Amino acid sequence: MSLAPELVRALVDAVGAENVVSEPADLRTYECDGLTSYRVVPELVLLPRTAEQVQAAVRLCHEHGVPFVARGAGTGLSGGAVPCPGGIVISLARMNRILEIDLESGRIVVEPGVTNLDVSKAVVPHGFYYAPDPSSQQVCTIGGNVAENSGGAHCLKHGFTVNHVTGLELVLPDGELVTLGGKGLDPPGPDLLGAFIGSEGTLGIVTKITLRLVRSPEAVRVLLAGFDSTEQAGAAVSDVIAAGILPAAMEIMDRLTLEAVEAAVHAGYPDAGAVLIVELDGPTGQADDDLGRVEAICRERGAGEIRIAAGEAERALTWKGRKAAFAAMGRISPNYYVQDGVVPRTRLQEVLHRIGELGREHGLRVGNVFHAGDGNLHPLVLYDRRDEEETARAKELAEAILATCIDAGGALTGEHGIGLDKRAKLPLMFSQSDIETMLRLKAAFDPGGLCNPGKIFPADVPPGAYGLHPLDRLGGGA
Amino acid sequence: MALNVVAPTTVAEAAAVLEEASRRGRRVSIERQGGDVVVSTQRLDRILEHEAGDLTATVEAGIRLSILNARLAEAGQMLALDPPGDPTVGACLAANLSGPRRHRYGAARDLVLGVTVVLADGTVASSGGKVVKNVAGYDLSKLFCGSAGTLGLIARVSLRLHPLPAAERTLVIPAADAAGAASLARLIHHSTLVPSAVDLLWDASRGSRLALLFEGSDTGVAAQLAAAREQLGGEEQPPAVWEEARALQARAAGRLPFPPRELEDVLGRYAEALVRPGIGSAYLMEPPPETTEPAAARLLERVRAAFDPQGVLA
Repeated sequence: MSLAPELVRALVDAVGAENVVSEPADLRTYECDGLTSYRVVPELVLLPRTAEQVQAAVRLCHEHGVPFVARGAGTGLSGGAVPCPGGIVISLARMNRILEIDLESGRIVVEPGVTNLDVSKAVVPHGFYYAPDPSSQQVCTIGGNVAENSGGAHCLKHGFTVNHVTGLELVLPDGELVTLGGKGLDPPGPDLLGAFIGSEGTLGIVTKITLRLVRSPEAVRVLLAGFDSTEQAGAAVSDVIAAGILPAAMEIMDRLTLEAVEAAVHAGYPDAGAVLIVELDGPTGQADDDLGRVEAICRERGAGEIRIAAGEAERALTWKGRKAAFAAMGRISPNYYVQDGVVPRTRLQEVLHRIGELGREHGLRVGNVFHAGDGNLHPLVLYDRRDEEETARAKELAEAILATCIDAGGALTGEHGIGLDKRAKLPLMFSQSDIETMLRLKAAFDPGGLCNPGKIFPADVPPGAYGLHPLDRLGGGA
Repeated sequence: MALNVVAPTTVAEAAAVLEEASRRGRRVSIERQGGDVVVSTQRLDRILEHEAGDLTATVEAGIRLSILNARLAEAGQMLALDPPGDPTVGACLAANLSGPRRHRYGAARDLVLGVTVVLADGTVASSGGKVVKNVAGYDLSKLFCGSAGTLGLIARVSLRLHPLPAAERTLVIPAADAAGAASLARLIHHSTLVPSAVDLLWDASRGSRLALLFEGSDTGVAAQLAAAREQLGGEEQPPAVWEEARALQARAAGRLPFPPRELEDVLGRYAEALVRPGIGSAYLMEPPPETTEPAAARLLERVRAAFDPQGVLA
């Protein structure tokens, strides 16, 4: 299927020829996102520079019944930005201006193509920063963060994208421009802003975003502790939470990950079965109090080496290894699949143990690097794509890990989204009426079904395939 | 209890009530008069699960905050919502309520992890989950925050909890006028103090006060209080000022969200208000100006119609 020539002409007119990609070789750049196993070459890619151009393009799609997919940096890991067959891609990469820095309000207004890290860079000299920090923050865009409700290592204390966006300007799938929220918090009425964030590009295209800035803390303390096993490190994490301490971040890497990371960035991690990184921030007195308590907990749980980063350089090095963990896996395996599941924090040890068993049963290596503080696991299943049988086994293993998370009362995805990758799995966690109710929201925003269709929701589900939602399992007479 | 009030004891009963009412073309109102049938959640008031180690709880929506928090306190935890009065958890969501500690912990929408709702036609639907991090599917728990019973009945809620602080201390600073209050707010905003609450009890004629709440370990709070006094002045006071702030909030006719930098202008327009300068929220003694733009209002109406196409909910 190709686009009608008059539509192509109108789209080119709408955004300007210099903002259109149409050569087949160039279009291939947009065929997938960070999860490369799903690929669809778009008919056309537009790179608008203004909200008016986005509106014009969306309106044309609406009139001609052509599906469109918004795209940020294409770093997503669930296939959420994969083009639709016969559809176009609207890239927000060229809408990358910081529009207003309002320090007195603690707000910054940006276009969707601004990268996550550039937001912080713009305000750090003034003593502020932007809290959500996905590992891809050097390249991923704020628009993409809004679509995925991105988290990051520091969302344990500081919250997710949804807790830091105060206002959105967006183009609805019929081309209408709507503003939700602003610089003040908690606008009246149903929280459409909160419902939109994390909708994976299926409800509209964001053209302007107002973010909350956080004051840089007086003190930051980073502790690194080596343990014999991930289970032991996980137990220390549970103890920290139980002690009423809320660190900015708590991250665990297992031995396999440590090997890969050391080879890649030489972060100087101790030789251990698992490393726990704990970051504490806040007023100096409080941070030091908490540091002492965390250190004591780690010792009680049998930590070998404990290091406390001495300054900014050491802190940065500690984090460099963690943030490079996914990419480093390329050094020890030709291919890897990043799973993204969540478990209640009290179930960490048992689920980690089960993941180890599942890996052995499937005869595959699994690296574990995860946001331990909020129970968000990222098991990395290592395999070789050239071996078809092994590839199939890897997929099976990744799915078995996910089922284990759901059985433990957890969630299908903590931050990577459902996208294309997990849409068939949505019924593991939601009933038919749960999903149909979500689709009512979709219908209200996008009655034509042209805005990133085919994502999040399963194409069709065999009868009886639905599992019980974690809340429904608690009963209460449902 | 009035004759037309129904108080279901299970989610299934609530669903049956709504389904029957909508089938018979009756108007239903939730937790308030106005419909042919009034649904009350007062008997949907159980704690279904409290996982202390996870700092999460799942409750039925009719439980009162005071009762929930008394139970959570036994484990040294709390739901960090402190709106005036003693609303139910469902009411906290339906009106997206918060109190002084909104400054640090957020409003109901920031603390909800998942919901089970009953739509006007009796459909029971869950969204979100019971873990602290989850992006699977649309987050209808956010959508229902502030929905005021127009989208459906909130029946069950999973919540993020916080540890009860070991120590709490309060600093109160007099503010002479709007400029003085704005200058104090600016100082706090640019400082590295981490108060849990910053409330301005604004009274242009009789004098205003700014109250700060510090929470944490004994030594941590003592250090913060000392630093705050040095930077801002004022005196430590007993926590009674927070009851005053909540009482003032309760008297308000409405709330105005505003860009925090415009604090001085906002104060210039109103004689009396309870203002949260850090987050940009002013509780006014008169109805606030409309801030929802027409396109957003049309979108909201489409959402409402999608959830309640027959207009059952009053």
